[in-house]
Amino acid sequence: MEIRSYADYLRTLDDAALIAMFTHRPDLVTPVPPDIASLAVRASSAPSLARAVDALNKWQLQVLEACAVLTEPFSDKELSAVTDKSAIFLLSGFIERGLIYQDKDGYRLPNTLREVLGNEVAGLGPASLAPLKLKRLEDAPPAAKKVLDAMLWGPPRGAISDIKKPTAGVQWLLDEKFLIPFNQQTVVLPREVAIYLRGNKVHRELEAVMPEIIGSPKNLKNVQLASIANITTFLRWTEEVLNYWSQEPATALKSGGLGVRELKELSLHLGVDENCAAFVAEVSYLAGLLTIDPDDKILPTHQFDLWLTQSAALRWQTLAATWLITSRMSGLVGKEGQKNTAPLGPELDRSLAASTRRIVLALLKESSDRAPELESLYKAAQWIAPSKRSGGLQQDYVAWTLREAEWLGITGQGQISQYGIEFLNGGDNSSIDADLPKAVNHILIQSDNTAIAPGPLEHEIAQELALIADVESRGGATVYRFSESTIRRGLDHGRTGEEIKKFLVIKSKTPMPQPLEYLIADVAKKHGKLRVGNTSSFIRCEDPALITQIIGDKRLEILSLRKIAPEVIICGHDAAEVMNILRSCGYLPAGEDSRGILLSGPRIQRAQTKARPPRIIGEIDVPDEIQIDGALRALRTGEKSSRKQSTMRNIATEALGSLPRTTANETLDLLVDYLQNQPSTSLSIGYADNNGLVSHRIIDPLKLSAGSLVARDHATGEVQTFRIARITGVAAL
Amino acid sequence: MTDGPLIVQSDKTLLLDVDHALSTECRRAIAPFAELERSPEHIHTYRLTNLGLWNARAAGHDAELVIDTLIKYSRYAVPHSLLVDIAETMSRYGRLRLEADPIHGLILVTTDTAVLEEVIRAKKIAPLLGVRIDNETIAVHASQRGQIKQSLLRLGWPAEDFAGYVDGQAHEIALKQDGWKIRQYQEHAAEGFWHGGSGVVVLPCGAGKTIVGAAAMAHAKATTLILVTNTIAARQWRDELLKRTTLNEDEIGEYSGAKKEIRPVTIATYQVMTKKKNGVYAHLDLFDTHDWGLIIYDEVHLLPAPIFRFTADIQSRRRLGLTATLVREDGMEGEVFSLIGPKRFDVPWKEIEAQGYIAPAECIEVRVNLTEAERLAYATAEPEERYRYCATTRTKRNVVEELVAHHAGEQILVIGQYIDQLDELSETLGVPVIKGDTPQKERERLYAAFRTGEITCLVVSKVANFSIDLPEATIAIQVSGAFGSRQEEAQRLGRILRPKSDGRSAKFYSVVSRDTIDQDFAQNRQRFLAEQGYSYRIIDADDVFQGKF
Repeated sequence: MEIRSYADYLRTLDDAALIAMFTHRPDLVTPVPPDIASLAVRASSAPSLARAVDALNKWQLQVLEACAVLTEPFSDKELSAVTDKSAIFLLSGFIERGLIYQDKDGYRLPNTLREVLGNEVAGLGPASLAPLKLKRLEDAPPAAKKVLDAMLWGPPRGAISDIKKPTAGVQWLLDEKFLIPFNQQTVVLPREVAIYLRGNKVHRELEAVMPEIIGSPKNLKNVQLASIANITTFLRWTEEVLNYWSQEPATALKSGGLGVRELKELSLHLGVDENCAAFVAEVSYLAGLLTIDPDDKILPTHQFDLWLTQSAALRWQTLAATWLITSRMSGLVGKEGQKNTAPLGPELDRSLAASTRRIVLALLKESSDRAPELESLYKAAQWIAPSKRSGGLQQDYVAWTLREAEWLGITGQGQISQYGIEFLNGGDNSSIDADLPKAVNHILIQSDNTAIAPGPLEHEIAQELALIADVESRGGATVYRFSESTIRRGLDHGRTGEEIKKFLVIKSKTPMPQPLEYLIADVAKKHGKLRVGNTSSFIRCEDPALITQIIGDKRLEILSLRKIAPEVIICGHDAAEVMNILRSCGYLPAGEDSRGILLSGPRIQRAQTKARPPRIIGEIDVPDEIQIDGALRALRTGEKSSRKQSTMRNIATEALGSLPRTTANETLDLLVDYLQNQPSTSLSIGYADNNGLVSHRIIDPLKLSAGSLVARDHATGEVQTFRIARITGVAAL
Repeated sequence: MTDGPLIVQSDKTLLLDVDHALSTECRRAIAPFAELERSPEHIHTYRLTNLGLWNARAAGHDAELVIDTLIKYSRYAVPHSLLVDIAETMSRYGRLRLEADPIHGLILVTTDTAVLEEVIRAKKIAPLLGVRIDNETIAVHASQRGQIKQSLLRLGWPAEDFAGYVDGQAHEIALKQDGWKIRQYQEHAAEGFWHGGSGVVVLPCGAGKTIVGAAAMAHAKATTLILVTNTIAARQWRDELLKRTTLNEDEIGEYSGAKKEIRPVTIATYQVMTKKKNGVYAHLDLFDTHDWGLIIYDEVHLLPAPIFRFTADIQSRRRLGLTATLVREDGMEGEVFSLIGPKRFDVPWKEIEAQGYIAPAECIEVRVNLTEAERLAYATAEPEERYRYCATTRTKRNVVEELVAHHAGEQILVIGQYIDQLDELSETLGVPVIKGDTPQKERERLYAAFRTGEITCLVVSKVANFSIDLPEATIAIQVSGAFGSRQEEAQRLGRILRPKSDGRSAKFYSVVSRDTIDQDFAQNRQRFLAEQGYSYRIIDADDVFQGKF
């Protein structure tokens, strides 16, 4: 078959070739195009090609640029002439990706690819239309040489003062057609001239290999140690942030995200800089451990409680895994000129974030025997992703990724650790648990009212201790301080002095210092001396005997009275109710308000709700002239428009006449029937769009699911979802 | 993970497990750069501060050593960020140096032009500087040597002072070791100071700071100005110097309210130095009257603010600060660092005690129950009167009486703040009282009598807090104190920590009213002692009356 177009070429491909192409360019099959023609359209569309080009490294990009520079069709030889012999090996890869294709004359590019690569590929101008005597360039006068040198490596456009009065050098070049006048002030260097002057090459330097990553090798053991320290620290930070916010929830900004002041507080609390605090908060947010609830409070979720129960390795993996794929760049927080980017806010998404991270981590993994320097790592990353689209790879992003990898413990001392490698390989990271310091189950109490947990404390003990003591210092160990207020907090949470003492005695390896014992006893003694509560009514009497009598009165049991002092009883019921019941039992109570003023006289009741007088119904007032006039005009206008509407309705009905009309149930039955019994029948349906406009479609039904029909639409050739409710009718063709 | 004795916390505190086999070794290793914050019985807390790290740099330790030490002794892996932070902090010291230049006089030299550019742009620094000599050097007004060090420290770029010291007028001084011998740590302290040029030696009360001063003078062999807190301390210095050194009476002068002698070794009081006449400091000239080779500041933590200002002007003279604690209630630790010098020597109290130089003391808090009437009166007292009220209750007097009776025959000091209370106590106990208006002569007579054992019990007010030497006091009873000052508590405990001739253990009672702010303040004060390793015991007043303690 003669190949006349890209589509024709695609038709010649076998399954394996197509599979390879789809593997490289997954966007070609999401969604699946209906036929090869559509595939060709998509594969040669600018967005799809741009994606494919983005995935190329510097060397591939250079060769592809060279291909784009050559006139079609071109051959291996032509390509290797302007680049290097080894460039030919890349061609098969390009073919696989569908970036070039081959016909009987040679290689060709899909038309749009040149646009995607840019107007001035490799700094080269357009091809000359006139034939050129390139040899003449050798004899160019010095002034012309100077002009050529300036334009040689691009950009190929040169500004001159006036095309009508060119300088001598420019004049010579224009005469020889070595420069093309572009407009009044611009001249362009034709491609052939530039390539000739570049020594018949396209690029000044071919970068066939990735620049080497320079870095200092670290002691592997120290890397592991540093990494595990980072991992523990990061887990502690996360827990810390969430615990902090569960006690004092931060309030999100109106524009979303965490305010500067809140961030500062958080960073002070953690004892880290604001960038790091922002990062910790972001990762917790990504992992779903915290959320911003509807009233703008930033609060931990239940997920956090589940997370706490997991092993350290799992906890860490949860955090690291979400970080790996996120498109958010928390490094943007606090960067100069990024005033409005708040952590947890809506403005942190960057399209390059995830890909940059992937590249950096891959490079770290590749150079696992050293701690790469930022500059060289950046150069290597640029080689891998040379595309300049959306600003290209940014050094900041690379630096932030390195910083964040260190915080997370993927690296230790800047070099990737075994945990990091395992994590990136998708391993289970259980070695982290084994290498983490063992949890301790005891504390050491000292006479300066501190308790020290000489290692990570078991969760339950830590929780209990956090209730009765303040954390004074964190790290490998935790220092708790007891004070009057912390003991009181414990008592407020329902612990008794004895319980606190017992807990400490059991958990402490050292004897309980006497001052602490006194402290607990002192606070416990004072705690709860004053009692505060709510009640609805009270009964008081200066005669304790009468009070005792009331308490003992069986008939009053329904009031569930409680004596709180010899002369006072409280009751959860309303005062009026209590008085009625007391009266009915033969007592003679008098009302008293909260200020102790006797409420004498009959009790006049008032409704508690707002007044809502009923609406007035009755004779309608006679309307005046103006009202009548207005009503008449409104009627006339309405009449006119409704006549117009009914005309339109008739037109529409006529149009729909040809459309099948069935009820929703019939539709469903018919569809099920066709799908089961005559699967390959095309059907005619009427379908209402979002605006209620009904259109006629010819479809091949594929399946029914969740109230929708999935079918191939003949008009677009695409697989589409039709909602059953919107199908006005079904008929076989 | 190793099994070291040290735990590095993220807030830059270091926890040292003292029961660990390597703890002594580790303590020695971290002592140069970490400051001991608390030393209770099991885990000692050290802190890495900027001042501490710079102190270490000043002593020639580099960041590598600090980091290696931490990694070596740490039980858990040390966060990398903390290590980086340490390295960065330490590298800040020494980027700027003060040097003497034959042409320009005092100059500020840097190894890092960016730092110099940063500091000369600082508002506080600019007026202190002279002409720019080259990229790395700028002249400093000679008179501003102290000022610039202070300001640079505040900026976080402490300057190393290599501008040298004047030798001062030579004067032969040597230690006279007949019948006594300088203790090893005293010698180390004096040497530490001498090699550092200027600085502070931290030793607990009773550990012989005077002797460290004398040893430093023997190193300097030059005329010396000694600044002390009060006249009595001045006399004690004088007596001590006569006993310990080759100096004779004519060579030592006293410069105080009473006498104005200027001799090769002159002892002046803070009070007279800060006395103002017609709005100006009248005795400032003292600093210039002699070509002093050494200036000693006793009780550096009490150094009044004006003295700092004078000290800023005499940066070319060697300065030795002596103190029991670097904690200043006014937070001027940075001034001590930049104007007197870095800390040169420090040993935890317990360590010295273990060496047998200080008698171990027992701290007992006696809780007194207020009577119903007293409680009511306390509850209704004006807030500003409350402390006074609960600190001077009648019930306390009974307890003190009981305690004094219990320890009859021992040397007892009753310490308090309120004169009325002290007068009452003195009357009840039938013992003399020393307070602010007690004439100097009378004070000395009473002290002498107490020392000889003629009187066994003495009631003293705040005036006795500092620098008096009561070697045979074995019991101290505190009835009221300043508002929870840690420093005062340390001083008071220092009183009775003096070595005893018969090895008896000293007791320190503080009598506290239960359930009042008195108790809260006591708790605050007690914390400092507990942090120093002295555990408190609490007993009830009833136990005292029943003799069960």
